[in-house]
Amino acid sequence: MQRDKQRRGVLDLLRVRDLGIVYALILLVVVLTIVSAATGRPNYLGGDNVANILDQASLVGILAVFMTVVLVSGNFDLSVGSIGALAAAISLSVIDERGVVVAVLLAIGAAAAAGLVNGLIVQVLGINAFIVTLGTMTALRGVVLILTDGRTITAESSDARTALQSIESGFWTVNVPVILGVLALLAAGAAFAAGHRGRRLAVLGGGGAILAIAGFAGDMGFRYAKPVWYMAAITLMTWAVLRFTVVGRRLYATGANMEAARLSGINVARYKVVPFVLTGAAAGVVGVLYGAKLGATNPTALNGLELTVIAAAILGGTSLFGGSGSVITSVVGALFLFTIANGFNVLNLGANYQDLIEGVVLIVAAGVYTVASRRKARAGSAPEPPEDGASTPAGPAATSTATPPARAEALHG
Amino acid sequence: MPSGEHSPLLLSMRGVRKVYPSGTVALSGVDLRVGAGEVVGLVGANGAGKSTLIKVLSGAVPATDGAIEWEGASQAWAVPADAQAAGVATVYQHIPLAHTLTVIENVFLGRTGWRRSSVKLERELAQLLERIGYAIDPHATVEELSIGQRQMVAILQGIAQGARLLVLDEPTASLARGEREVVFEAVRRLSKSGTAVLYVTHFLDEILDLTDRVTVLRDGRVVADDVTDDLTEDALVRSIVGRELLRVEQQEIDLPPADAPLLLEVEDLRSGDRLQGVSLRLRAGEIVGIAGLLGSGRSELLHAIFGADPDARGTVRMEGRELSRSPRAAVAAGLALVPEDRGKQALFPDFEIWRNASITDLPTLSRGRALPDSERERERARDAIRALKIKAPGPDALVGELSGGNAQKVVFAKWMYSGARVFLLDEPGSGIDIGAKADIVELVRELARSGAAVLVADSEFSELLAVSHRVLVLRRGRVVAERASGATSDHELVGLASGLEKEMQHAA
Repeated sequence: MQRDKQRRGVLDLLRVRDLGIVYALILLVVVLTIVSAATGRPNYLGGDNVANILDQASLVGILAVFMTVVLVSGNFDLSVGSIGALAAAISLSVIDERGVVVAVLLAIGAAAAAGLVNGLIVQVLGINAFIVTLGTMTALRGVVLILTDGRTITAESSDARTALQSIESGFWTVNVPVILGVLALLAAGAAFAAGHRGRRLAVLGGGGAILAIAGFAGDMGFRYAKPVWYMAAITLMTWAVLRFTVVGRRLYATGANMEAARLSGINVARYKVVPFVLTGAAAGVVGVLYGAKLGATNPTALNGLELTVIAAAILGGTSLFGGSGSVITSVVGALFLFTIANGFNVLNLGANYQDLIEGVVLIVAAGVYTVASRRKARAGSAPEPPEDGASTPAGPAATSTATPPARAEALHG
Repeated sequence: MPSGEHSPLLLSMRGVRKVYPSGTVALSGVDLRVGAGEVVGLVGANGAGKSTLIKVLSGAVPATDGAIEWEGASQAWAVPADAQAAGVATVYQHIPLAHTLTVIENVFLGRTGWRRSSVKLERELAQLLERIGYAIDPHATVEELSIGQRQMVAILQGIAQGARLLVLDEPTASLARGEREVVFEAVRRLSKSGTAVLYVTHFLDEILDLTDRVTVLRDGRVVADDVTDDLTEDALVRSIVGRELLRVEQQEIDLPPADAPLLLEVEDLRSGDRLQGVSLRLRAGEIVGIAGLLGSGRSELLHAIFGADPDARGTVRMEGRELSRSPRAAVAAGLALVPEDRGKQALFPDFEIWRNASITDLPTLSRGRALPDSERERERARDAIRALKIKAPGPDALVGELSGGNAQKVVFAKWMYSGARVFLLDEPGSGIDIGAKADIVELVRELARSGAAVLVADSEFSELLAVSHRVLVLRRGRVVAERASGATSDHELVGLASGLEKEMQHAA
């Protein structure tokens, strides 16, 4: 409250630490739109192109959500690409004999089990997550090689292939304004019933009603590929759990200070292990979707995916040291990466430059976040910081700027 | 000892002001003088501006206003290296040494140049050690050293750079008694050899013993600047606090009735060789002290009772019901732990006060026990700020920005509002200023009056006696004696805890 009244820099005012990637995406889209128009290309923001970007980003987006959960809990997961490949291989190798339902469940179950193994090794044996998941990443890729015998595998039975592909391909049209409007109305109604009153409530309810009616009357349906809707649903659900529930709060607390969380009566083992299981399961879903798209998979499927996913989370402002981050901005980070790729494509710029640009963007983003949180820490710092080690490396900036030596080695060494 | 008036002036700060970008005024016109070879004590409550003053002096933060003169010439140190080059070496409380390097490598870390002659450096180190009267293996790596030894390496590092003024920030805060003596000896010897020392500490006995002159800060101003010989501890306390301190000495503490219900029963608690069968009982309204020296197992005992020690064996019963061994079960049963290191073990420095205060009791503050209601959480934090006199702008202040005493009150708030009935306090007064200490003592008494039971471990036995009804003396993981607070003394407890007074144990 009081902090709002204090003088703030531009970076703070725009909440760059929280929303930087959103501004960056808007800026990127504006630039690409103007350049497309100026060079006489079709409208960049045309429905097809947007649908395209969303479709391409969906798998990375889904994983970025759970990577964020793992990062918030104070861990790290490099094995998502290999787990995904494993799930794809499993689903395609059993689908002919056992049908699509068993294949999908088996694949996702195996993926979740792989996540559980990650989590248990990290938590019970206390080995650094970076090292553990580097190991499982390599080992599981080896399992994929064994399963596929180094060859591409496909679903032979055409029935099975069709059933599998129906999970992934095809479009759903969803009237997003109506859904959002109805959700806003419900939220406003619930708050009203709980005794809340006031202008913000009226705005929420009124806005919701207008949105719902306009969406209905204008038939504002959005037609996107199924994975896009999977991503949207998963993101919203996870966001709501993290933002609004006791579970979410405890997850952030565990990531922010595990010992304090443990001594506050939180079951930290659960909050450390479950994120790995969820991430494993999500990687399983992604692997199944990947296999379904092509009806086939090969030993190098989803290779290197983990780095794109982590890049998306970092672009979204998630701290590598736990306790902070948002799944929504991580998904926006994924969209940003795929918008760059798409921009290169649409504008016919040499694809050779793409990796260079993405790498630079990642570092610039990390730099902006670091500067923003350092400023926040400085602006808020008390005249005399705690003198007794209450917050050893001074204040909030420490999480993202002053890299704890052990972690730094693990991450960069 | 050289005294301020006679030795030539080394450092003179005049009218130094520091206003942080947030608008907080940390220093409003501070004068500080240090003569060559003089030992000057700098004291003040948390938040008085000591840290900021040191930072300005060492070039870590620029002053907003004011003049700094070094050996008569005006200075504007932009970076710590400037101040170091001039001869100011600052040893901070959290010692920034390279842990994987050896003592000698650390001491001469600042040395530039391509080639290092190890023979020459060893000779130089030997001279330095001679100068401060200390001995240490030059080739031990820092990570093998105790905190006290690290402190000495940091001091050596400072004087190896040719410091004329050594700034020591709370050098003895985390040291055992013997290790403190070593630091004192070094300070005395340095002063004799002409190096001035600015000594910052909470321990007033050290100030009275060690310094030639004392500067007292309060709310960013100098409120006293006196020759130490003219001072008494009482006078010092008065100028630090600015009011007559609430007497926390022995006062008539109303004992709980003998038939007060038994809350906590501990039977034969063991953990490795750190705890060797401890049993104790706490009644509602009782405050029981644990007197033990470093390594006696006092923290281990509290952690074991709280279920935080997976190796512990034994029985802990809360109101007759046996607890399973986990902090979660302990919290659910109404136990609370205020650990020794709040920053690492109790608080989330990046979280606001309200998110810290509610974490132990989240379901109660949630809709349907699942969706936290941040308005109710903030309301609780506001209550806590008011009731515990926490100095903070509001419930949204980050806990990492609070001073030690206020952060400690947030730890208490975590438990007080969540229905805890047995409080386990581990060094509740460590690293907090006198004013906040008095508040905490009052708080502990209030808890007992309201029917809670308190078990408190403290290495300052006089403080322990001031607050508790009876004291258990812990030595090498065993309770070796029990005394009613009125029937014992600081000295007897030290004797019992250190094993010097065995016969008295039998006599009792």
